[in-house]
Amino acid sequence: MRRLVTALLATLFAFSWANAQTIVRVQGYGGQDPAIVQRLIDEVIGKGLADQGITIKYEPIETDYNTVLVNSLSAGTAGDVFYVPGEVAPGFIATGKLLPLEGLVDTSAFIDTLNAVFTQDGHVYGIAKDFNTLAVFYNKDMFDAAGADYPNADDDWTSFEAKLTKVAALKPDTYGACIAADTARLGAFAFANGWTTFTADGGADITSPAFADAFDFYSGLVTKGIAVQPADVGAGWPGDCLAREQAAVAIEGAWILGFLRDNAPNLQYGASFLPKSPKTGESGNFIYTVAWAINADTKVQDAAVKVLDALTSPEAQQFILEQGLAIPSRKALSDNDYFKQDTAEAQANKIVFEGASHGNVYGFQFGKVGTDYMSPINNALTAVMTGASDSAAALKQAQTDLNALLTR
Amino acid sequence: MRARGREFLPALMFLLPFLLVLAVFFVYAGVRAVYFSFTDYDLFNAPQWVGLANYRALFSDDRFLTALRNSLLFAAIVTTFQTIGALLSASAVNRRVRGMTFFRSAFYMPAVTSSVVITLIFLWLFQRLGGINYLIAAVSRNAPIILTFVIVMVLAQGLQVLVERWRLRRRLRGAGQQRTVSLLDPALLAVALVAAIIVTTALALLGYLAPREVQNVAINWLQTRQEVPASFPFWLRVPLPLAAIMFQNIFTTIPTYMLMFLAAMQDVPRSQYEAAALDGANSVQQFFYVTVPALQPVTFLVVTLGLIGTLQMFDQVAIFGSSVPLQSVITLAYFVYNRMFPGAQLPEVGFASAAAMFLALLTLIIVTLQRTVLRAEGER
Repeated sequence: MRRLVTALLATLFAFSWANAQTIVRVQGYGGQDPAIVQRLIDEVIGKGLADQGITIKYEPIETDYNTVLVNSLSAGTAGDVFYVPGEVAPGFIATGKLLPLEGLVDTSAFIDTLNAVFTQDGHVYGIAKDFNTLAVFYNKDMFDAAGADYPNADDDWTSFEAKLTKVAALKPDTYGACIAADTARLGAFAFANGWTTFTADGGADITSPAFADAFDFYSGLVTKGIAVQPADVGAGWPGDCLAREQAAVAIEGAWILGFLRDNAPNLQYGASFLPKSPKTGESGNFIYTVAWAINADTKVQDAAVKVLDALTSPEAQQFILEQGLAIPSRKALSDNDYFKQDTAEAQANKIVFEGASHGNVYGFQFGKVGTDYMSPINNALTAVMTGASDSAAALKQAQTDLNALLTR
Repeated sequence: MRARGREFLPALMFLLPFLLVLAVFFVYAGVRAVYFSFTDYDLFNAPQWVGLANYRALFSDDRFLTALRNSLLFAAIVTTFQTIGALLSASAVNRRVRGMTFFRSAFYMPAVTSSVVITLIFLWLFQRLGGINYLIAAVSRNAPIILTFVIVMVLAQGLQVLVERWRLRRRLRGAGQQRTVSLLDPALLAVALVAAIIVTTALALLGYLAPREVQNVAINWLQTRQEVPASFPFWLRVPLPLAAIMFQNIFTTIPTYMLMFLAAMQDVPRSQYEAAALDGANSVQQFFYVTVPALQPVTFLVVTLGLIGTLQMFDQVAIFGSSVPLQSVITLAYFVYNRMFPGAQLPEVGFASAAAMFLALLTLIIVTLQRTVLRAEGER
């Protein structure tokens, strides 16, 4: 019996040696990503890797990505190369399971603010595969009908609000803007005021004037009836309100483009930078990004590095950009011909791309507490927007909750 | 002895697949969880023995105390209402009336529908501009009409019953028979209904009745920290979103327990009802003195299952997710999950395990208490 097993194993080994391909397991999101990665492999990077004896095996994770990744990393079953979303990067870096990349990958070719999102104690743990920022997406027809100027780069909160007020007055049941009680949007306005997510001593201050002022502006749009929350008009998210012409403005990233293409193909829309704070004269923004990282325990490190290089190569990023899928993270691609096209989509992408270097821009990231940071503030926003509480009391409660979260 | 040994082996063989699954996924996992509850462990670094520190930390954690309060209130309120509701609906569908199979199936629908789907539907019903608020607004707007209708109907019915009873007494005088007219006599009820419709319509047409001017109701059921009743102490206040989940949970669990009561009701011997009827018990008395005592073992089962189910309620909280403030709906089971898979942070496996052990112990204690109480009640 034992001899039979040995013989069997030996044949298997011989077979695999003859087939000397190194398999690199790559894990990422499900949804549309498997199709994109497959096309990337088939059309751009697959052949070059195959010549070096490397085969990519993409394993999409359809459910809660972060939970699955934590579990598989701790159990030692994670892929060799995988996505690490920016907002959870500090937590994953703290597990010690991500490979520091300096010396292995040339990180200087990528946009600095993106590298910063995945840097901890001077080590870079991930290469941004693409990114997004926020922009003001507006319905041109509704602004025309209201006789209001389109939002533009010179707007501050006051002039922006005045324009929205005009549009909101146009008809009952249509609004100037559609905004959700979401810290992932409000935060960008607070950044404009010079606020940062963490203070120097590692705490968070959301009762300071810089934050409270932005909070009052953002929630005020709803309490004054200029803007509406998506759920109150039966929409799932602000992009939905924009597509159905229930509101003239949505503050979103380039992910809205594909949705508008499918759901409102005839919508005449434009994009502009977020308005500036009247106090500081600056605008603020979030950078949303996802990186490729390498498993520190991988058995095929050399091959994994080659795969990461290929996935973030100029050719791969050019392909993704031309397909209108995402915005590249390489500095050299900023001067791309794609951005010079005169379509609404290309122009919107350009605004989103430039948003990364426009005003006070920070990664969408909240230290090791991750997106839990946002829930107390989201609750405060909801309380104020629905008239259940005034802003001072809501922010005081949120500060208490946030302190409890940060010290736990 | 030998025969028993011979029977033991095949029995074991048949049980083996199940026992293996039980051993791996229950005994092994359970023992590990007990061990982890005494350690500081984050899945990545080796567990550090910390003794009872996790358990002590539980009771100084505000989130945990809120979860404990929510779970206890949820279990107490939901179990009470679902047991009573199931008992009543079972006795309603236990009649021999034409078309009853339809009603039985219709009553059972919420239980066979996926709880995820039902939760999503309720999520929309409970929106600020959702169905529930619309219904409340509609009722309060038409309150004058509805009230008039009800008052007229009650008056008409009362009057008819009085007249009929008086006539019956005259007719039966001296006959030695005991008969009476029920307050809810169906034929008279039909007449009262028609009268009420006519009167209300006439008043409305003549302009004496009109809907009130009422603002749209915009109660914020979900996105709120409001707790009711506000004047109660912390441990007795129910957060409004949790009340919404309670309502939904009662609605979806009644049918399952109704089925258990229904099965048991059909086993109650008819002779007991006949004996009760001969002794002059009306249907309400029959229900309380025959049906309810006969169902005692099933009531025990239903309350036990209800307590276990409600103490471990998780799915509805998970689906309500980010659309409600977490502390307004968090239950012990969700607390455990939340600390085990905190999204971006390192998992607090030790702390989560301690909370899980506490939940298991709490369930055991409550069910044991309930068992002694119900047993004592049954033997009285």
